[in-house]
Amino acid sequence: MRFHKNIGNRAPPPHLPAPGFSSGEPGVGAVPADMDFSARAERALDTALARGAAYADIRFERTRSEHIEVRNGDVADLNDTRSEGYGLRALVDGAWGFAASARFDDAALDAAAARAVAMARAGATASRRRIGTMPVDAYVDRYVTPCERDPATVPLGERIALLLDAERALHSAPTIAVGRAWLDLWRTDKEFYSSIGSRIAQTIYQSGGAISALAVGEGDAQVRMWPGDRGMYFGGGWEVLELAGLRENAARIGEEAHQLLAAPQCPSGTMDVILGGSQVSLQIHESCGHAAELDRIMGWEANFSGTSFLAPAERGNLHYGSPIVTIEIDNTLPRGFATVGYDDEGTKSVRADVIRDGILVGFESSRDTAAQIGSTSTSCVRAESWEHVPMIRMCNLNLLPGNVPFENLFDDVRDGVYLEANRSWSIDDRRLNFQFGTQIGWEIKHGKRGRMLKNPTYGGVTPVFWNSCDAIADAASWFAWGTPNCGKGEPMQTGRTTQAAAPARFRNVAVGVGYGR
Amino acid sequence: MLAARVLERSRADATEAIITSEHRALTRFTHEFIHQNVDIENLSIRVRAIVDGRTGVASTNAADDAGIDAVVQRAMDIAAFAPRPADVPVLAARSDVTAPPAAYVDATANATAEQRATVAAAIFAQAAANDCWCSGYVTTSAGGLTIANSAGANASFDGTESGANVKMTAGDSTGFAERYAPDARVLDGTALGARAAAKARASADPLAVDPGEWTVILEPPAFGELVMFLGSHFSAQSYDEGSSFLSGRLGERVMGTGVTIRDDYAHPLHPDAPFDREGTPKQRLALIENGIARTVVTDSTWARKLDRANTGHGQPAPNAQGPYPLDLVVDPGNASLDELIAGTKRGLLVTRLWYTRIVDQRKTILTGMTRGVRNLRFNQSLVDALETCTFSNDQQRTGGYAYALVTPAVKFNRFTFASTTNY
Repeated sequence: MRFHKNIGNRAPPPHLPAPGFSSGEPGVGAVPADMDFSARAERALDTALARGAAYADIRFERTRSEHIEVRNGDVADLNDTRSEGYGLRALVDGAWGFAASARFDDAALDAAAARAVAMARAGATASRRRIGTMPVDAYVDRYVTPCERDPATVPLGERIALLLDAERALHSAPTIAVGRAWLDLWRTDKEFYSSIGSRIAQTIYQSGGAISALAVGEGDAQVRMWPGDRGMYFGGGWEVLELAGLRENAARIGEEAHQLLAAPQCPSGTMDVILGGSQVSLQIHESCGHAAELDRIMGWEANFSGTSFLAPAERGNLHYGSPIVTIEIDNTLPRGFATVGYDDEGTKSVRADVIRDGILVGFESSRDTAAQIGSTSTSCVRAESWEHVPMIRMCNLNLLPGNVPFENLFDDVRDGVYLEANRSWSIDDRRLNFQFGTQIGWEIKHGKRGRMLKNPTYGGVTPVFWNSCDAIADAASWFAWGTPNCGKGEPMQTGRTTQAAAPARFRNVAVGVGYGR
Repeated sequence: MLAARVLERSRADATEAIITSEHRALTRFTHEFIHQNVDIENLSIRVRAIVDGRTGVASTNAADDAGIDAVVQRAMDIAAFAPRPADVPVLAARSDVTAPPAAYVDATANATAEQRATVAAAIFAQAAANDCWCSGYVTTSAGGLTIANSAGANASFDGTESGANVKMTAGDSTGFAERYAPDARVLDGTALGARAAAKARASADPLAVDPGEWTVILEPPAFGELVMFLGSHFSAQSYDEGSSFLSGRLGERVMGTGVTIRDDYAHPLHPDAPFDREGTPKQRLALIENGIARTVVTDSTWARKLDRANTGHGQPAPNAQGPYPLDLVVDPGNASLDELIAGTKRGLLVTRLWYTRIVDQRKTILTGMTRGVRNLRFNQSLVDALETCTFSNDQQRTGGYAYALVTPAVKFNRFTFASTTNY
């Protein structure tokens, strides 16, 4: 069963402004009156320049986040967190320094600027190369995420009641040992100032939630979640939770977890695979999104998140996928979880192709990395919070829909499986050899969906797999799947990202790996 | 002092304050230049207010009186709306705890960007001398944790951390080395760089191997990544709910008789806070002893639910994750790593794994990749592998800041690789 198919589609829902409010021309507009960090920003930037920085920027953020989780009838977690502070970047002799603090007195501002400059200078002394680049454009602007219902106006009792109701309904079968329902709400007010004149204020709303049922049987445990495998996470307010269908789908999810205990094991072999939309989203995330991050490609993550099998010289040549595969960055996507007006180094959000008609054509980049390959930033720089250094992150990276109605994907599959909702994910550090497992599957025989299967897994090598894609479902089942927990960087940063996708079909895939193959 | 101010300003029936403070710096490098250099200071005030049996939690990093008043009020407001649980939470009582020695080192707390850059430069020199390129980081940090409540608990811990790790790449091979310790003065960029470069050189011109069942020796960074996935199995919550391989098996032999796994906050390689995030003293436990499942870890909630002792492994309460052992230690064996290698007729030596994930939680089936150039994917039940294994006689702290545990190298007689990467 599909649901709320039009949410996240390319055309914004008619009741929403699209997207945000922004003029966005370099150097125009007035400083928003409510940018209350401006005097302190000016002091810190002046200090950084006086100490020798060629360029500096400072990002003030005030965040409010709420996580509520109901577990087996109890409110197991209800945490309202607020944090505010600033992070300052200084560029000295081609090297960056970054200092962050939550203290706002003049001495603390001066000290943070001094620390950033000192670190940049120490880095420049030790380094055998230079990578820092100055920005060219300055913007004066404001952006606000379209938000139908500000979560702050929703009574706490209503927020909790949604989860209590949904969690209760998960217990639709006797084997459900653990029911969980949770939601996350974020509001981030940020102000960005640069030493070349940018003054950007943004208010970002992000919201989401999910349900999960764990069924336990004799020596076995099976989990089902909804929506997808992480939940539904969008840019927006409380309306996101109302769209997620947590109450409406809970009983079915509980029943499916129960049925999985008695379901047959997914077979092993080479066969055709249809992936549900959320699993295609995961596939994009792991095998394209991270592979196309330009900092990885340049070795900046070599010792942690890894490198990539992609290279700048392969732009325009590499057959990443079949001709129906087009994957694009769209950091302006209405309702995108990563949609903002400007990224965290002050670059205006853009759309840009990464894979066009199956061919590698671009990368997720920052100013520094794009300059290394003679290109421009694709506005993919984000910091988890004020205390984190901005770095390249996967933002909204979407597989464009195909032209096959979802139901027709099954038509000419003689022997295959349909797999939904990720359970396990692993891929090598060049983003080639992957193995993914899903929560649930169904066999496909002669074009018809058959028995439910448990413990499905499949594996492959990234370009081989994407070149085996011969059908993508149409826009009616295209959905902006958001992920709230993408990890990267040292110190580790958690990113919020969207990979919009529709279900898709792949031929001759290794299925059942990890369980006897 | 900050915690006391929170308690003074609260009008709740019961109040708990958790104060964490941190000053951390990290210098990150690749291709012999520093591409990221960060210095962060922050604190967190987490208030748990209990009003009429209901709990509210709120957090802030604003430490002035207005900030404290606001966070206390928010916690109380949330409590007023929260459902009343069947059992009213009980806050930890006052207890005397002693921090393990050498957990805090002034030299680490006062380390400078220049000192971190010096360690990085020494690594760069090794890369140049060995015709490699390198990537990694040097980090130093200092942090404090205080937990105080209106029942009288008042526990504090100050700790420092430092670390450096490096991956050297030499043409068709790589090598890795790491060192983590509370005292940054032990970080030796030359030694780390040389060790990683030597590994890279020794791995040059790698042979292709077929997937299948192999004898493998996993060095501490590789084995530690697998052991980390056992943590949730030792939780009383997963034990009771049935997702742990230990469920219903306490007292039984569940692994080979050479396996002993502890949770020990006072291990000298990883001295940690002597109390948990509820303020309860941590017990030093043998979780698996000579292959026999001895116990699981609890917090106040699960101790009460299962009528077991509170072992002091609580996370900030209330929480949905349950208790967790944060200080896992695998006991060493008798043979040196060289002897384990010498005694292996045909096998694979693996320094590091990558992207290990759970395939089947109850069966402890994990998948992941070796991390070099000709990479192999494994699919293996960890508990099955631990049935026939041998450990080296030395332990190492591994995991960096992502996790921290202490382990020797391990030799598995049977370890299953499912595929190679041919592209």
